[in-house]
Amino acid sequence: MLEVSKVRKSFGKTEVVKGVTFSVERGEAFGLLGPNGAGKSTTISMICGLLPFNEGDITVDGYSVKNNPMEIKKRIGVVPQDIALYPTMSAMDNLLFWGKMYGLSRKNALNRAYEVLDIVGLRDRAKDKIETFSGGMKRRINIGAALMHRPQILIMDEPTVGIDPQSRNHILETVKQLNKEGMTIIYTSHYMEEVEFLCERIGIIDHGEVIAVGTKEDLINRLSGGTVIKMEIGHYNKSLVEELNTLPFVEKIVTKDDERELEIFVNSSHQALGELVSTAVKNNVEVSTIQVQEPNLETLFLQLTGRSLRD
Amino acid sequence: MKRIWAICSFEIKKLFIKPQSYLLMFGMPLLFTLLFGGIMGDSSTGKVTLAFIDQDHSMMSKSLYDTLQNNDLFLLKEMSHNEAATQIKDKKLIGLLEVSKGFENKFASEGQPMVTFKYSPDFTSNAMIDQIVSNAIAKMKIQSTASTVWSNYSKESWEKMYPVLDKEISTSTPSIQKVSITKNMKKQEMGNVSARSAGFSIMFVMIVMMSVTGVLLEARKTGVWYRLLSTPTSRLEVMGGYFLSFFLIGWIQFGVLMAASTLLFGVHWGNLLGVFILVTSLLLCVVGLGLFISGFVKTTEQQGAFGSVIITATCMLGGVYWPLDIVPSFMQKIAEFIPQTWAMRGFTELISRGGSVQDIVAPVSVLLAFSVVFLAIGITRVKYE
Repeated sequence: MLEVSKVRKSFGKTEVVKGVTFSVERGEAFGLLGPNGAGKSTTISMICGLLPFNEGDITVDGYSVKNNPMEIKKRIGVVPQDIALYPTMSAMDNLLFWGKMYGLSRKNALNRAYEVLDIVGLRDRAKDKIETFSGGMKRRINIGAALMHRPQILIMDEPTVGIDPQSRNHILETVKQLNKEGMTIIYTSHYMEEVEFLCERIGIIDHGEVIAVGTKEDLINRLSGGTVIKMEIGHYNKSLVEELNTLPFVEKIVTKDDERELEIFVNSSHQALGELVSTAVKNNVEVSTIQVQEPNLETLFLQLTGRSLRD
Repeated sequence: MKRIWAICSFEIKKLFIKPQSYLLMFGMPLLFTLLFGGIMGDSSTGKVTLAFIDQDHSMMSKSLYDTLQNNDLFLLKEMSHNEAATQIKDKKLIGLLEVSKGFENKFASEGQPMVTFKYSPDFTSNAMIDQIVSNAIAKMKIQSTASTVWSNYSKESWEKMYPVLDKEISTSTPSIQKVSITKNMKKQEMGNVSARSAGFSIMFVMIVMMSVTGVLLEARKTGVWYRLLSTPTSRLEVMGGYFLSFFLIGWIQFGVLMAASTLLFGVHWGNLLGVFILVTSLLLCVVGLGLFISGFVKTTEQQGAFGSVIITATCMLGGVYWPLDIVPSFMQKIAEFIPQTWAMRGFTELISRGGSVQDIVAPVSVLLAFSVVFLAIGITRVKYE
């Protein structure tokens, strides 16, 4: 349904999107996972036809964003990162306005607005001004505005930034339900757990490049050292790190926090734990904490880029 | 077109849903018109009061009192010296005129009749009062001389002739006939209330336009602009919707102010078609100016700050607060490059001279030229990405 093919985008001399390629099938929930500044929002803006790109192409249902942007805009609903609503107007006024912008008649917009208010669970607040809403409620109406025209694809750019866990859960459940009903979802976030919860397939993006695409299981299977053991030590000892690197089950070691925290990628945590501690003791290094982290997308991102998703 | 109207009607609703909009759009300009138009236009309310102390109690001192009462600058209140001193001390009076004993005798003799004028140091119009009193005494001196000549021939007392002459002169028809030059038979006056009404309407329409054109910057800041452009709405429709809303808001404001000033202050705006064309050109110019400024600033706060400075300065230069006739010639030359000057000229032509559409061709053309420049620059600087 959506094809993003070798898209490049530069701002001046800085290339911020470097040949991004991925595709999304109809009815699929696709997550674009990456840290801040990775190029997620720029990619989304290009899909929505808001930002021209230098190379490549983006198509939705066969329509190119370069040649038929309006056909694409009719098919997508965009939930921007900002709360793009009119705060002094009521929730209903906002929904009606955005409905009309998507080409609905007043009557259709009114009927749909009540449906949307039910979907986001705010029907009882229809006449209240947006400025009186909590952050979570504003985010829900922000999503609702993008649902007014029953889009085929819902594109959500970090829709849960800065809200409480309860509102976040409500939003995630709502999006999950929309996807179950057949809506295609493109969800960008730097929260791994949100993407894991919602999306069947995930693209990991960093420094303007998609560095991995696949299902969660596919991606985790790609981890060479599936488990990460985080070991906090009293002081950095070069010979300890060298000796740990020689152990057969150690795949990679990343040092963090003034070299007092070691992230050791291993392929067998059961065997590794004891030997890691004994090697530290043998090198006269005090181990203050040790933590085993099962393989997940965070681990994969860490292994692929050497940094955390929230760095 | 549906989307253009949707944006336009939503922006209008957004403005009028806020109670403070009514105060800014209608309350304040009418209040300013009432205050400035009323104070400067009604001469009786602007008169200061002086004490008149008559030590002479003569026919001539009485004549001076009567003569001085007929002026537009001050009122006289007869009282004793002590009473006057107390009231001046309490700031109830700004000064006194004292006619000394022997005032009348000076007219009969060759001496110069004198009046003492004492005033507070903060009173700035003393030179004008001095002039009025001097003129009154000179007039009385001429009348008394004429009466004395008559007395020499008739062998009767000059005091008998003086009141006759005084009455004759004060009731005679002035030799100057004042005629206002108007374009039609319906005589109209560009009174101060009318002038200030037009001026403050222009100023407050400009203030409101600065605020409403700032919605483009606000929309960019809040992400509304991003979302608008992600809908199947073309850039032309988006700009068309906003532009139409600015224009209609301006017309609603101007229309209400015109109607209210007619009802409340009796302002006659003149030829309605002419007013429609002039206000339309003015609004195009003002909306253009708003877009022009918003094209060069980054936030609504900057737009407000720059807008306020530009509006206040250009209103001063353009004759909105006071007539341009009273400003130095170099400022009058600068005023030629100010849109408000041309708007005020147009209104003067329509209101004061009873002009029609062909009489406002020049102001309208200049305002439209300003509009083209402002709009062209403003629209090209709108960022869509």
